[in-house]
Amino acid sequence: MLFLTRTLPFLFCFVFGMTGWVIYYVPHEWAQTVEREIALWLRLVYAFAYFLGLFSLLSLHWSKIRQRQAGWAYSLIVYISFGVMTLFVVYNDGHGPFAAQATTGPYQWMFTSVHVASSATMFSMLAFFISSAAYRTFRARTPEAAILLVSAIIVMLGRVPIGAYISDIIPDTMQWLMSVPNMAAKRGILLGVSLGAIATSLRIIFGIERSYLGGGD
Amino acid sequence: MSKIASWITVTVMALHVAAGAAMPLAIEVYDTPNDAGGSLTLTWSRAVAGASSWYSVYVATAADGPFRLATTTATPGLKSAEPGLFGYDDDNDGYHVLHISDYATGNGEERESLKDGTTYFVRLGVQTAAGEVVGAALSATPRGNLFNTSKWNNLILGIGLSFVILLYISMARRKDLFIRRIAGLEALDEALGRATEMGKSVLFVHGLKGMDQIPTIAAVSILGRVAQRTARFDTDLRVANVDPVVMSVSQEVVKEAYLQEGRPDAYRPDSVFMAATEQFSYAAAVEGIMVRDRPAAHILMGYFYAESLLLTETGSTTGAIQIAGTDSYTQLPFFVTTCDYTLMGEELYAASAYLSREPKLLGSLKGQDVGKALIIGLLVVGTVLATFGVDTLTHLFAAL
Amino acid sequence: MDRLLNIDRRIIFIFVLLGVAIPLLIDIHLPIKPTPTVRAVYDEIERVSIEDPDRPVLVSFSYGASTMPEMEPMTRSILHHLFSRGRKVVGICLWPEAVGLAQPIMDELAAEFGMKYGTDYAFLGYKPGAQAVVLNLGQSMAGTFPFDTAGTPVGDLPILAKVQNLKDFSFVFDFAAGDSMEFWWIPYGQEKHRFPFAGGCTAVMAPDLYPFLQSRQLVGLLGGLAGAAEYEALIGVSGSATSGMEPQSVTHVIIILFILLGNTVYFTTRRRGGKA
Repeated sequence: MLFLTRTLPFLFCFVFGMTGWVIYYVPHEWAQTVEREIALWLRLVYAFAYFLGLFSLLSLHWSKIRQRQAGWAYSLIVYISFGVMTLFVVYNDGHGPFAAQATTGPYQWMFTSVHVASSATMFSMLAFFISSAAYRTFRARTPEAAILLVSAIIVMLGRVPIGAYISDIIPDTMQWLMSVPNMAAKRGILLGVSLGAIATSLRIIFGIERSYLGGGD
Repeated sequence: MSKIASWITVTVMALHVAAGAAMPLAIEVYDTPNDAGGSLTLTWSRAVAGASSWYSVYVATAADGPFRLATTTATPGLKSAEPGLFGYDDDNDGYHVLHISDYATGNGEERESLKDGTTYFVRLGVQTAAGEVVGAALSATPRGNLFNTSKWNNLILGIGLSFVILLYISMARRKDLFIRRIAGLEALDEALGRATEMGKSVLFVHGLKGMDQIPTIAAVSILGRVAQRTARFDTDLRVANVDPVVMSVSQEVVKEAYLQEGRPDAYRPDSVFMAATEQFSYAAAVEGIMVRDRPAAHILMGYFYAESLLLTETGSTTGAIQIAGTDSYTQLPFFVTTCDYTLMGEELYAASAYLSREPKLLGSLKGQDVGKALIIGLLVVGTVLATFGVDTLTHLFAAL
Repeated sequence: MDRLLNIDRRIIFIFVLLGVAIPLLIDIHLPIKPTPTVRAVYDEIERVSIEDPDRPVLVSFSYGASTMPEMEPMTRSILHHLFSRGRKVVGICLWPEAVGLAQPIMDELAAEFGMKYGTDYAFLGYKPGAQAVVLNLGQSMAGTFPFDTAGTPVGDLPILAKVQNLKDFSFVFDFAAGDSMEFWWIPYGQEKHRFPFAGGCTAVMAPDLYPFLQSRQLVGLLGGLAGAAEYEALIGVSGSATSGMEPQSVTHVIIILFILLGNTVYFTTRRRGGKA
């Protein structure tokens, strides 16, 4: 059992980790074939994993409905929505499940009129949340915070036409802020993150970090 | 293997233009370096500035033909445009370059690809005022290369940094290492303790990326540490997932953590669940949990996108302690403004080591810092050199 | 003063709502000035149209329903520009939702410019695998996308007759609402095969992609609705991005005013009470 839960995953990590590293330097067709096969298997694993996700989603909501937990009606909506969309996909505007996906019909209508609309609504709520978060927290408490605040105002104005309408200096300054100080900070974080990623990869490839498999080290 | 050594045939020939004047062109044909095979590279002296020429390349499998047209161009590239193959030599501007991977078969538009291991004979034709002048046949054999020489710098840096990190890991076994305090991780116990006192749950969210991504692996490692503590404190832990693979791994991680703490009975399989697979459906589901179940602590670790602010701004209205950690540069400002504690960039990767206090893991953090110091040093030297017009270091580190 | 500091966030929400709604009802004309990063995309398509007219252009759609309001205007303006220059365009999707969103736009604009399906443009649909798809595309187009969305083998599409892999496209453009540009196309596509590559992304992602502009791994970049509006100005079409600039301008001003108000109240309170 220990072999399956510990040794084999470590072996996989080591072999595939090292293979991925080596392949990066080898342009030969053999390496390309290995890379292609790994990419293909990755896609296959993901396709099957979606069944696990679906099972988890449905079983979680089923237990909520069965036990009449708080908000169980939402779980019922999950089931109804899932059933309706599945039916429409199978119906495929009268062409059946084996024909190419129809670009008209009830599925397309549900997609654009319900899914697209509600997702876009969620995304647009960001504008409201950004405003309230900015109001609460954007205070010039220190000189650094004051510089940040002025920069933020310039970028906000420079990104939209009203900035250029006020003065051409605003979009130009915005461009400079984005390309120079912003980039310096981004690169600083990026370098740290990349080194962190190398260290994490090494810890995993060499079996030093094992907490991602659960339990201790 | 160096480029020079990989050349199959090098020949210098002369072409005669219509006017009768000799115009020597240093023509070379060789297997294209750093490729998967099936390609030859042809280089020759750059045309005199202002003089326009039309070049044709002919290919045959035998020295005496038949020669078939591979390509024609009036604007061949220069060696200087391909530093990955030819480096940064000053005289690279003086040579044209063409890559050939197939040729016309003479049967309509059908083309034949170059095959590895087959020797091909190549002739370069130049259009002059008096017609086309075609040079002598040069031979070369395409083949796949086993090492991409343009990635030497990457390999050396990768090995160097890995060596430093592994060295510090091995050193860490022998002596104590100082690691600076990370406030966000110190607060983790406080947040979990508060949840225990209040009898409320802890919500763990690990971003949108898949299991093959480093931030997700780091997040799952932190989940393991958090689960050990919730098992110890007997606190309810809920993990909302967006990716089925991450969900499966997280289930195993939490289960193992509970087992290790001697509390397998306290583990509930449905505490690690799939909330949704779409970004904003997921955000809505998690926001719903935050508002309805009112967990005492929200722990958000991993790579986040636009949903970050939706989650934490909603979370802040519930009064829960919020600890976030991400290497997503664009989402950091949102976390900083709405969360109690934020782990920035590499702190996310350091979290697992920090929480475990395991010497080997702490050693890797130390190695990272030494690597960073090396890079800072190189950046300073490189910037000074580049300012004075010396590009050697810049070229040495260029990604080709 | 304390009440102002802890203002009910719903009041701010009402102001933002009015800031978006009123400019949509009242037309305020604001001049749009294209930034260099957007102009670079325009110039690249113009360059390809002259210097490399035979090879098709590949456009990759990697966005979903949530970001459609931001991504659709740039999809329209880029495709409009490509079709108006007679470019042959092949469309693929790296996000499953993108199929239903991008295909109707492509069909509509192709019809507007008299482009014929199969010869002048093609839509190959979605393939799961993210960076693995880009990796596979670098090796074989037909192996990665054997059929288009109608089930036609790609070998039967004349537009792809001479296309073996990514290197056979004159230009690649990615519409990204997530990882696709930074983590899929640049490391596994552009970095490996060195083709001219540009993209359009949501506004919040744009700062992440600036380093790739400096390293020339990205020829140009359209960031959010503002980027799309600038592109509309370049191609001389006034679309939904242009009209969206007015509410966006007003909303930005409202947020700035709230930040300034918050700071004024903060400093006034601190001066009076010594703390805030």
